[in-house]
Amino acid sequence: MERILTARAGERILLLGNEAIVRGALEAGVAVASTYPGTPASEIGDTFARVAKDAGIYFEYSTNEMVATEIAIGAAASGVRAITSMKHVGLNVAADALLTFAYTGTRGGFVLVTADDPSCHSSQNEQDNRYYALLGGIPLLEPSSPQECYEMTKKAFEISEQLELPVIVRTTTRVSHVRGPVVVEEIVPGPKKKEFVKDPKRFVTVPAVARERHLVLLERLKQAEDRAERSEFNRTIKVEGGGKLGIITSSVAADYALDAASELKLSVDVLKLGFSHPLPRKMVSNFLKEHTVVAVVEELEPVVETQVRAICQHSSINTKIVGKDDGALPRAYEFDQSIVAAGLAWAFDLKAPEMPLPEKAEDLPVRPPVLCAGCPHSATYFAVNKATNRKAIFASDIGCYTLGVSPPYSAADLLVCMGSSVGTAGGLAKVNDLPIIAFIGDSTFYHAGIPGLINAVHQGHKFLLMILDNRTTAMTGHQPHPGSCKMPGGEKLTEVPIENVVKGCGVKWMKIVDPYDVELTTETVKDALAQPGVSVIIARRECALVAERNAIDAILAKQYIDQEACKKCRTCVDKFQCPAISSIDKVQSIDDELCAGCGVCAQVCPHNAIKEAKK
Amino acid sequence: MSDIFLAGVGGQGIITASRIIGDAALLAGKNVLLSETHGMAQRGGSVVCTARIGDAHGALILDGRADVILGFELLETLRALPKASRSAAVISSNETIVPLSVSTQKLHYPTLEEAKEEILKAAGKLLFVDARKLAAESGVPMSSNVVMIGALAGSGCTGLPKAEFARAVELNITRKVSENITAFNRGFDEARSLSL
Repeated sequence: MERILTARAGERILLLGNEAIVRGALEAGVAVASTYPGTPASEIGDTFARVAKDAGIYFEYSTNEMVATEIAIGAAASGVRAITSMKHVGLNVAADALLTFAYTGTRGGFVLVTADDPSCHSSQNEQDNRYYALLGGIPLLEPSSPQECYEMTKKAFEISEQLELPVIVRTTTRVSHVRGPVVVEEIVPGPKKKEFVKDPKRFVTVPAVARERHLVLLERLKQAEDRAERSEFNRTIKVEGGGKLGIITSSVAADYALDAASELKLSVDVLKLGFSHPLPRKMVSNFLKEHTVVAVVEELEPVVETQVRAICQHSSINTKIVGKDDGALPRAYEFDQSIVAAGLAWAFDLKAPEMPLPEKAEDLPVRPPVLCAGCPHSATYFAVNKATNRKAIFASDIGCYTLGVSPPYSAADLLVCMGSSVGTAGGLAKVNDLPIIAFIGDSTFYHAGIPGLINAVHQGHKFLLMILDNRTTAMTGHQPHPGSCKMPGGEKLTEVPIENVVKGCGVKWMKIVDPYDVELTTETVKDALAQPGVSVIIARRECALVAERNAIDAILAKQYIDQEACKKCRTCVDKFQCPAISSIDKVQSIDDELCAGCGVCAQVCPHNAIKEAKK
Repeated sequence: MSDIFLAGVGGQGIITASRIIGDAALLAGKNVLLSETHGMAQRGGSVVCTARIGDAHGALILDGRADVILGFELLETLRALPKASRSAAVISSNETIVPLSVSTQKLHYPTLEEAKEEILKAAGKLLFVDARKLAAESGVPMSSNVVMIGALAGSGCTGLPKAEFARAVELNITRKVSENITAFNRGFDEARSLSL
């Protein structure tokens, strides 16, 4: 059994921030957990998936973040404790549910974890989801370490039940993906079932109810602020005895501030805010009065800073505030110790810290992420380029296949969010003469592609939708989706086949191809583009990584390049892309160990120089 | 304090290696923070992890501050050099995984000699480990990462005892445990015999 489940009270175990969140929830007696996977939040759901059965709780990978949130709302409104987790942009999808749930409030503890991604390590933007707490009137906890992830998640359920409000736990990539020691307590299972007690004047948000409930929410927020004033997560840390200089900070920026203060040998008081919305205004006001200069150190948006400045104005405090507004700290990208040290030096009028000059790295060959050896998307993109002679506009979507944006495929021209390929394709088709091709992955199609497809059929848009069906949610770690028939642990799920959905949406022309068959795929794309309305091709072939792991058709036939037949035309490296194929000193060759045996390169070579290796 | 910067290519088991360091530190009664790269970078891209043993607050390692660069692939070791302090020990596998950019943009992949020269310009000490060979000879060809952990333990750079490292390997590697301990020991002896 997993250590995260078996660790006893007092044990100190090494946990990822995301795993610590799960342990905190288990100790709080959570009954229902849900998610839609997305970096940097994925390990929360994946850990629940591994332990749910043994822990006796319910967990699901929902179709999208809104459904995941609604699953947790249904459970928590009934009275059990529930948690849902997602990446930051997932909360855009879930926001409609969350913001009104703040009005009805909850019975059982309800915790929503949002994992933000400053620096866009694996995201399309770096939005600061603390604004959702302000927007919705929702209490917000911001852990900075695995220990705090654990403690705050556990406490969040209690806060949620006491205030009868949903609570947001907000991490960032450097909180979710930092591993550190966590001292745990005992797991105390909570109730798994509760009968929903009907109360439509609270839970059915028709306008008359909503108007009443908004006032209730505002009242609860006052109680929440009192709670924040008393919270153990809001505390002052004295560095070198403290003094008249102050720092107000939250999340992982607090850790960088502590490191930077030591580096600068500062005598400073650090007010670390873990329960940061509603802001404990009395505590902050007192802190401001006790210090002459206060630096506000927070990643991304000046959420706390703006409120701190408002407190100064409101209470006529003359303390000098330094932060993003004066350019001491940047509003974009994640921080590190040196960015914070430079900001503090500016704020407190010190000499900038001396940082050792790095040895300038030579111009080294870059190594960006690429589509894997045997990746079916590679074959699809090659076929599409061949069929269209690259004279098409490509609406792309979120997943591994977005990597097709790079040469040699250049198969992405427009991308904004999950499911956007389908919707934007309709708009593109209305104003462009070139053919429009939308690419969407299987999981993304279920997540947010279906309304766009219904719209396309209904409005008569003309484009080709290619559903790149690799039978899994590959990018985030191979989680199941509605096209899967079982959970990672083997529990049965009911498959909802994509083709049934496509037909149900009213699509008249649909074909299913195996992208490993390059010629068939190419010809099918040509046929599809000749159709009058929306056409759909499902390019179906299991993710090469899963195929290899499960030894399903894993090695069809390894290939090699017959050097005598090779005409050095470079088609296999300039028009196709495979990590197993290299061209070094004008010699093209295939790495036998990396080759997945898909045989696509043999179809790509115009001179039949790529051949099956003898087994 | 000991700051270790791990660098390699997605799929080489670098996160597992960092977890082994973390557990070894914990078993030795030390504090530790690890930061990991997940998601997009794992599709054959560059992967880095940090391990800070001691009472640090932030998990990131600044340029010029790493005490050890633990490199799992030659080119990625070179890419990590800006992190090395002047006196840093660079422990690198000599394994090469040629990135696609070398083929598509006709770039030059550095030779072992060129790499050695660059490393010694930036850092204090260097040890190349034939990790792939030692792993294969131990019966676990995929466990280059365990060999590299052995070399890190053998180098003495972390101040953590060998027994804690070995126990941490057992905690994190569930298959072919005794072969992996052999791989760990081969790496350990390699670093020891060169008295880094």
